[in-house]
Amino acid sequence: MTLDHIRLWLRERVAFYVERTPEEIDPDAKLVEVGLDSVFAMSLSGDIEDEFGLVVEPTVAWDHPTVNALADHLHAEVA
Amino acid sequence: MRDLELPPELTVEHCLELDAREEFPDALCDSLTDLGAERLYLPGVPAERLLAMIRDLAGRDFTVALAHCKTYLGSVATWVGGSPAQVAGLAAKVSGGAVVSLALTERDHGSDALAGDVTATPVPGGYRVDGEKWLINNATRADVVCVLARTGNKGDARGFSLFLVDKHSLPAGTYRCLPKVATHGVRGADISGIRFTGAVVPADAMIGEPGRGLEILLKGLQITRTLCGGMSLGMGEHALRTVLEFAENHRMYGRRLADLPLATRALADSYVDLLVAEAVTVVSTRSIHSLTGEQSLISAIVKYYVPTLIDRTIQRLAKVLGARALLMDGPFQKIWRDHAIVGVFDGNTWVNLSTLVNQFPALTRGYRDARVDQEGLAAATGLKQPLPPLDPGRLSLAARDGCSLVQSLAVSPDAPEELRDRADRLHRSMAEWRPRGREVPPELFGLARDYAQLYAAAACVRVWADNALDDVWLRACLARVFGRPDEATEHLLDLTRRGRPFSFLRGVTDHDT
Repeated sequence: MTLDHIRLWLRERVAFYVERTPEEIDPDAKLVEVGLDSVFAMSLSGDIEDEFGLVVEPTVAWDHPTVNALADHLHAEVA
Repeated sequence: MRDLELPPELTVEHCLELDAREEFPDALCDSLTDLGAERLYLPGVPAERLLAMIRDLAGRDFTVALAHCKTYLGSVATWVGGSPAQVAGLAAKVSGGAVVSLALTERDHGSDALAGDVTATPVPGGYRVDGEKWLINNATRADVVCVLARTGNKGDARGFSLFLVDKHSLPAGTYRCLPKVATHGVRGADISGIRFTGAVVPADAMIGEPGRGLEILLKGLQITRTLCGGMSLGMGEHALRTVLEFAENHRMYGRRLADLPLATRALADSYVDLLVAEAVTVVSTRSIHSLTGEQSLISAIVKYYVPTLIDRTIQRLAKVLGARALLMDGPFQKIWRDHAIVGVFDGNTWVNLSTLVNQFPALTRGYRDARVDQEGLAAATGLKQPLPPLDPGRLSLAARDGCSLVQSLAVSPDAPEELRDRADRLHRSMAEWRPRGREVPPELFGLARDYAQLYAAAACVRVWADNALDDVWLRACLARVFGRPDEATEHLLDLTRRGRPFSFLRGVTDHDT
């Protein structure tokens, strides 16, 4: 699993939830600023489990609050 | 089994006098402390025992219940997220009768905790707290206040921390309690506020790690929101008892009011509403111990469903009283006023429904895969089953595998066909909605209500199956959950009028003692 793949998937996921195109999501912007509600952001943990078979805390997006930060964290976890 | 006999001076009449004078029930709270009520607020106490006390107290007077039990709300964050030294320190204070309050809300922000303006700024030796918390139960009376304050950026879920502030250790002039506000119900309660101005607290006043405040708070609320069901139960039972007594004695059209078909139906429906509320509350309270990781969902369901149900019950009972509901100010009228706040505080109805909506993806996945924690579920619904002690480390802000109770409908041989059909249909509707990361569409709140209704029905089915309850109990409860008339309902009321106790489930558990 490459970092690029994770980042791409995550950016698409966030874009889907905030109803924008992936290109419109700044990977270094806070997810909250992109428009993702912080309570809803907890459901990303379910998507992550489905996609990568990786069990993470629901608060993972609170601790890694941008697409890039979260992708880095997941990449380290998968490796 | 009772942990606490209520003090003899805690009478409905006395509490009505205090309420009329908007007077805080000081002496009654002192009596409760003298009797040792606060030991039920300590960590390690089974949640069901605390629930029983809350229900008993609320069944006598809600102002007193709210005033005394608030110490648990103020303490729970420490039990959930504090260090062993913090837990021991606060436990010693609570055992000594200290009043602990939770200071969460602010004047301009209500339920929007992430918008909080109270700040805690690092200074040598600790933190300086500044700002105002408002509409805080027991803010003035409290010895210790658990304060949510911003230690990072506004709007950042990791930007807030919790502090245990001992008012006695603050220098004079660094805090001021705000006047008690006049309220619709619980008129004697100390609903006030507190303003901090450069109040320096030691570094070890922070509960848990910096930035963990919101997470710890939300985990603690999963317990207290569930226990709120006990408040509704106590008040609902008191209201029904009051109205039933009137209807048994008041004569109209040549017979007792209680025997007029429409009144009988209203009383019976109200009675069975209480049985449903009891099943939901008891199962959900036991779940704190055995389905701990699901409590984010379960607590939201209870906190929405039970107070909403009992609000309607009280409204219906008011119609049985007729003009008398509005003519005088007695126990029923106080309950009517007091109960209205339960659906608002500690996370209001909309907050709880949106918690459910946000977890729809996990719920539809959990139902599709029939994920059920069989052992945890059996312990929650088998009322005589032993429960493990609560492990706060298992509390989670989202239920990864959904809701075992509802998902068990997909695989349980006891589940009535009707319920499984409803569950299939509801989960299909939930899955059809495109999940959205902002601004939940109002239609989804309707599905969340249906989900809570399904949970209530499933709770009844499992409680019935696992505790060998009468078939008539289940029939009546399911009829009420889905709002259809059923003669089983009136049959149950008839048993009660002939002296059977109000609670069926207490009958089940009381055989032990």
